[in-house]
Amino acid sequence: MSDRLKIFLLLAPVLTILIVMFLGGLAIGLLRSFNYMPIIGLTKPNIDAYVSIFTSKEFYVSFGLSLYIAVTSTVISSILAIGSALLLRRNFIGRSITQFLFQLNLTVPHLVGAIGILYLFSQSGSFARLAAEWEMISKPSEFPAMVFDPYAIGIILQYVWKEVPFIGVIVLANMQSLGENFEGVARSLGASRWQAFRFVLLPLIFPGVLSASVISFAFTFGAFEIPAILGANYPAALPVLAYRKYTDVDLAARPEAMAMAVMIALLSSVMIFFYVRYSRRRIRN
Amino acid sequence: MKKLSFWALISSSLALSPMAIADVSDGSAVIGKPWSEVVDLARGGEVNWFLWGGSDNINRYVSEYIGGILKDRYDIKLNRVGLSDTVEGVNIVLGEKENGLNDNGSVDMIWINGENFRTMKQGNLAFCGYLDTLPNNVLVDWTNPAISNDFGVPVDGCEVPWSKAQFSFTYDSARTENPPRSIAELIDWIKANPGLFTYSAPPDFTGSVFVRHVFYFAAGGVENLLGDFDQAKFDDAAAKTWAILNDIEPFLWREGKTYPNDINALDQLFANSEVNLTFNYQPSRVGLNIQNGTFPPTTFGYGLSDGTIGNTNYTIIPYNSPHKAAALVLQNVLLSGEAQHQKALADVWGVAPAIEISRTSEEVQANFAKVEVHPNAAPAAELAKAALPELQAAWITAIEKGWLANVGSN
Repeated sequence: MSDRLKIFLLLAPVLTILIVMFLGGLAIGLLRSFNYMPIIGLTKPNIDAYVSIFTSKEFYVSFGLSLYIAVTSTVISSILAIGSALLLRRNFIGRSITQFLFQLNLTVPHLVGAIGILYLFSQSGSFARLAAEWEMISKPSEFPAMVFDPYAIGIILQYVWKEVPFIGVIVLANMQSLGENFEGVARSLGASRWQAFRFVLLPLIFPGVLSASVISFAFTFGAFEIPAILGANYPAALPVLAYRKYTDVDLAARPEAMAMAVMIALLSSVMIFFYVRYSRRRIRN
Repeated sequence: MKKLSFWALISSSLALSPMAIADVSDGSAVIGKPWSEVVDLARGGEVNWFLWGGSDNINRYVSEYIGGILKDRYDIKLNRVGLSDTVEGVNIVLGEKENGLNDNGSVDMIWINGENFRTMKQGNLAFCGYLDTLPNNVLVDWTNPAISNDFGVPVDGCEVPWSKAQFSFTYDSARTENPPRSIAELIDWIKANPGLFTYSAPPDFTGSVFVRHVFYFAAGGVENLLGDFDQAKFDDAAAKTWAILNDIEPFLWREGKTYPNDINALDQLFANSEVNLTFNYQPSRVGLNIQNGTFPPTTFGYGLSDGTIGNTNYTIIPYNSPHKAAALVLQNVLLSGEAQHQKALADVWGVAPAIEISRTSEEVQANFAKVEVHPNAAPAAELAKAALPELQAAWITAIEKGWLANVGSN
């Protein structure tokens, strides 16, 4: 048996699952988005659903919100993650326990984190009650709106809390495998600490930061549950809007839901493409 | 060696025995059959019931009380599958039909009414025509139009009534002395008490029914709106409704910039004193929320002088249910006088029965006579004096869509 065949056979089970489950689902979604749904008598494909979503203001508002959430939380998480990794690679007493604590919330599901945010930051939450108790505000409902708010603060907070250790762990592993020799050389040649970081370390760790933050970006753009729990009723994030169309009692709204899901997939692929290209160029200059 | 193969045979047939359950997906095997035959078919099997799971006391009644009866008397395993919105259950059946899964679906029964029932009929997703097979069907008054029509859609033997519900408001007498007792008063009250009222955003079931109260008020009464959907009448009443709702929006919780997503979120706001009124389609919820400490004991439920909307809810069997006999047994148990009485008890659920109590046994009638509602809940009899009908499903869909476009997205 040749190596090539062996590799193919070994990968076959996972490829089968990926192709059947992922591409199969995508294909069915695509068919339905073109109004092909024989069960309710739709047998002639057309692009009505796409026309309908592209002519509604709702779609653009939701797209804007999802983009804003994804960009903001990815940028904040990446910066904080690099900062934390710089601190954590140093030698100090209790380093291993700190590193352990830093990674701890990787194991906590997003959903649980979202409920936590709700308990802590809502206007009926712990912080609102404490602030009222300490007479910083006269009643809990005066606490600034951080969940169900138009700026999606609660959503971004939850994503940052969850993504910082995710990106951080990858960056830290990256830094530790590089060691500090390169920076040491730069410093001995007269670079300032900032210059050593900006022109030596950052370009070296950048591929790691990039791949981790792209995953985080794609996830935050397409995820449903966090904006569904912490988001305002209007505007809703794109995946929440698509789900609402999917659960509309009118069966004719299903194609619109599918068209939106297809657009989410397409838009996030396009944005990831540009994000990677732009960031690469930016860091080289 | 012989002995070994003997034991292998025994153990393998034991392992395979669940396959031998005789329950059917073929509807003709149960329709019109003697009840004992249906029960025999169902015995030893299971039934998957998909229903809204947002209320602990309902979940407990279904899993423990109803599940217990099925287990003990019929040896049927009841699997309660909680949904956050009934349409999710309908979507499963729809997806199965599209994929050709016509006799081995995953849903055996759904708690349903209104627009979702219309969807099930529209997609030919319901199992129909079996009602006379159920012995307890005689307890149902099918001559009552509020039962034989589900939000104006004829039932046509496709579902079985389970409970009746009527909308009521809730206030805390410690915070509000005189709550508004009509929609007109409510509008003034909202303006006089900024930030202390909101409603859950349609298409949330309960938020949607609140908006319909305003719609009836704007239309000058429900009488004009009964019957088939009428675009001209709708446009006229809808324009007034959106004007009222946009007019009060700046005086709502958070200046109406956002709305709670569902009724539980609204109850939470009320419990935390963020808003001073809440409402429910289940008047008994007030008593339950006082008992479990969510609402203070000074909380009271009440109806409106111009009436509140009431409806009937049902259980439906999808056409592709593989456990039709067990689903029929379950529906028959749900209709029985004792199960309807149990769910009418204030500390269980406190919901009004969908059967005619006068047709039940004397014992059950005596038990019903003893049912006490929580003193703080709006009495069902009083609410029923001013009950408003539901509109046909097409109206409701149009109102929900219109709200989102004209009020929710402003």
